[in-house]
Amino acid sequence: MVKHVIPESYREALIHLRDGDFHIVAGGTDIMLKYRNEADLPPKFDRDVLYILNLDELKYIQSEAHVWRIGALTSYEMLLDHPDLPEVFKAAWLDIGGPGLRHVATLAGNIANASPAADGIMPLYLYDAQVVLESCGGSRTVPIEAVITGPKQTAIASHEMIREIIIPKHPFNVTQWLKVGTRKADAISKVSFCGAAHVEPGVIHELRFTLGSVAPTVIRARDIEGSLKGLLISELKTKTAFVLNAYSERIQPIDDQRSNKHYRHQVALNLIEDFMTQLIKEG
Amino acid sequence: MKDISRSVPKEDHDEKVSGRALYASDIQMADMHYAKTIRSDRPHARLVRIEYPTLPDGYIIVDHTDITGANHVNMIFEDWPVFAAGVVKHVGEPIALVCGPDKQVIQSICEQVVIEYEDLEPVFEFQDSVVQKAFKKGDPDTAFSQAKEIVERVYETGYQEQAYIEPQGFVGYLEGEKKVTLIGSIQCPYYVKNAVMKTLACDPDDVRVIQAAVGGAFGGKEEFPSLMACQLAVAVLKLKKPIKMIYEREEDMIVTTKRHPSKTTMTAALDETGKVLAIKAHVALDAGAYIGLSGVVLSRAMLAVTAAYTIDHLDVSGDVYVTHTVPNGAFRGFGAPQMIFAIEMFMHHLAKHLDKDPFDFRKAHQAKQGDKTATSGIFRDPILMDAMIEKATNMSDYHRKVKAYAAPNVYRGIGMSWFLHGCGFTGSGESDHIKAKVRLRKTEKDHVYVLVAAVDMGQGAKTTLKKVVVETLGVPYHQVTFDHPDTDDVPDSGPTVASRTAMIVGGLLSQAAQTLKETWQKGKEQVVEKRYRQPDFVVWDEKHLRGDAYPAYSWGVNIVEVSVSPVTYDVKVENIWSVYDVGKALDERIVIGQADGGIAQGVAYGYLEVMQHKKGTIQHKNMTDYIIPTSVDMAPTETVIFDNPYALGPYGAKGVGELSLVGGAPAVALAIEQAIGRPIHKIPATPEMIMELIRHETT
Repeated sequence: MVKHVIPESYREALIHLRDGDFHIVAGGTDIMLKYRNEADLPPKFDRDVLYILNLDELKYIQSEAHVWRIGALTSYEMLLDHPDLPEVFKAAWLDIGGPGLRHVATLAGNIANASPAADGIMPLYLYDAQVVLESCGGSRTVPIEAVITGPKQTAIASHEMIREIIIPKHPFNVTQWLKVGTRKADAISKVSFCGAAHVEPGVIHELRFTLGSVAPTVIRARDIEGSLKGLLISELKTKTAFVLNAYSERIQPIDDQRSNKHYRHQVALNLIEDFMTQLIKEG
Repeated sequence: MKDISRSVPKEDHDEKVSGRALYASDIQMADMHYAKTIRSDRPHARLVRIEYPTLPDGYIIVDHTDITGANHVNMIFEDWPVFAAGVVKHVGEPIALVCGPDKQVIQSICEQVVIEYEDLEPVFEFQDSVVQKAFKKGDPDTAFSQAKEIVERVYETGYQEQAYIEPQGFVGYLEGEKKVTLIGSIQCPYYVKNAVMKTLACDPDDVRVIQAAVGGAFGGKEEFPSLMACQLAVAVLKLKKPIKMIYEREEDMIVTTKRHPSKTTMTAALDETGKVLAIKAHVALDAGAYIGLSGVVLSRAMLAVTAAYTIDHLDVSGDVYVTHTVPNGAFRGFGAPQMIFAIEMFMHHLAKHLDKDPFDFRKAHQAKQGDKTATSGIFRDPILMDAMIEKATNMSDYHRKVKAYAAPNVYRGIGMSWFLHGCGFTGSGESDHIKAKVRLRKTEKDHVYVLVAAVDMGQGAKTTLKKVVVETLGVPYHQVTFDHPDTDDVPDSGPTVASRTAMIVGGLLSQAAQTLKETWQKGKEQVVEKRYRQPDFVVWDEKHLRGDAYPAYSWGVNIVEVSVSPVTYDVKVENIWSVYDVGKALDERIVIGQADGGIAQGVAYGYLEVMQHKKGTIQHKNMTDYIIPTSVDMAPTETVIFDNPYALGPYGAKGVGELSLVGGAPAVALAIEQAIGRPIHKIPATPEMIMELIRHETT
């Protein structure tokens, strides 16, 4: 029989994690599907379960001078209700599931689930977000790319849990989120795209892209982005072919029941090109 | 006289909104047991050996050896086994049930069952034809020999899943020693009863079938429930306990019937003016592993060959092919959506080929009152399509948009479909096979019970049929009751299918109510029955598919406007306009509800709903992967109902249920075709396909 534990405090949760091997359930919108059973029967958990959604101390959104701090159990709807979080985050989060799901699903859960099709984590890569992992032994702050190591794989140790997510503030003045799910709600991404640019009269200070659902983890290519820094907008057009070529090599989508790799590949490139074209057009 | 169309509160509104309605899975009984199905995981194999674990007390296995009657489901073709015996022909084919008191234990028993197969070669192509049909109109051979030009196109359609709200399910129990009662999520109580009688080889008195609340069926609960009911009845008699068998969603999507994939070859003989002299059409349907109703679906498809047009010379044929895949079956539209897609695309493509305006070209071939139907019957009643088309084009600003969207790089399109749907069973089906009977029973307290086997599955039959009785009798609503049908109480008024409920069952009820009104004796128990009689003018030759295929037709126009993203190739349905002639709406809100749901399902069939199998295993087996539109995908709809009362329908009503689905796919496909500037020959027109068309990667 698996043990079901509901800790009363974050501290207690960490102690349970130190002493046992648990599945952690926050909103449960992924894990309850993974271990679901037939109607009327309990889920088929293969380990003890720690339910943490009641830990209000991890539900917060703090704005500091240079960063946002988001408590691990903050639901997407709480995030969407916040007046000041960057638009590109909100746009991505608003495309997750439907309203019911977003009231319990958490950003930390989206990280821990490490799906290559996750929408919520896409802007985290764009903004160089960091994840604070904590255990009874202390805490460590890890870049999002180092937390998610592969499809359904993370660097989170069994005695650790996500405490908070740190999002640096950036002066991007053009951002875009686009999810290709074919259906407009309750859809799993076939391809997803985040783009952000910091452009000042004619000059590109920063141009970033992330691509989802087209590789084992979210694609962010700092080297390609680096080659665009400092360019004049008028020079960007000459770089388009190079950029598309460079991304084309890193996009490694799969065929599955939702789409095919040919489509995913082409659409990912189209999304990059479209974002660049808009930048050029708007000068 | 007040207008029958004026809406009244839906009869089942309160119980559904409050959650009081009892669906099959809500039914609780003392000592309830459960059943789970052991299924084939091979598309085609001989069953060599099945090894069951030692069963705990109170658990049983039920398989074909327990069947006392016939091991097939009573349908038109008797080829579909209740339990596989010796061989399996599709993935998910039922082999046995495990029954007992604890679902977890049942699950564990199922996991321990070992099946040894000897694999046989599966067939997934259109190669094994098991049903062939054909008919001709006029003299197609001469017309083709005199043609100036002959044009051929091939059209393909995919699976469609009914996606009803609750999966298939039954509760079965014994009354006394040998009477089996089954309460289920069903469309056709007497189909279920008759099938169970055959399988048990028992008397009519020994089977009772009751409808539970049904949250949508769309044809999916026409014949498939008979299979489950036969299995469960055998199990109930063996275990002698109440048993509940409710499918999980994935199980339901993998093993239950779907819309037949089709391939239709259309060939037109054109004269020197570009008029269609004759059409040769061949439709191929994929039946899956067993024929079941597929032959009748084939007929419906073939009869719809010229849809809302009149073509003087026709050569129409069709084949049903068996493949080692899940059996396909009834689905709202019943073969017509496949054919209406083919003919509507074909007429448009012919016009394009001839460099003619598609609208004018279609108008030149439009069916008129008095014309011969595809099967050489007669369109007797007025056809309002001229006015309906004008209404639809005005509402949608169609003519201006067609021109505007023809410019390059607009990525917007507008498409229009014209169609009809035959009301009731095909040909002599109503008079020879169904022989519908309805009953009204008035108690001594002058309370009237509507006794019919018609099922309210969300479409509003309870409301409209009761309304017909109430309005005809001229009594208050609370003086009439329409309970869920129970075969112990209601006569066989036929299945709830084929756009027949309002027109046929409603028609009989209005006659019964009229008789009861005329013979009404206060404070006395009275029973009035009416049985269906084919109108004298309907003459049908079943063998040659010739004559009046239907007593009446409902008509429709759909216009769909889309935009297509050149970046993601996603389609956004922007607007939908519809005009329908259903004779007379028995309740306007209910007809609009049917229309909105039907067009959502029909349009989604054309561009959104993808279901495929891989070596016989369905790949889209849950609502995450099988994409049906959500409320935010649904475009604004504007629907207008034309009055065109049918003399033999209650208050003039004709068929409603299927009409609003059958034209959706060609309308959206034609809109996409215009938006991307490439012809479409296959649905669903997915973003993946649109990408290939736009990028010229396929021909």
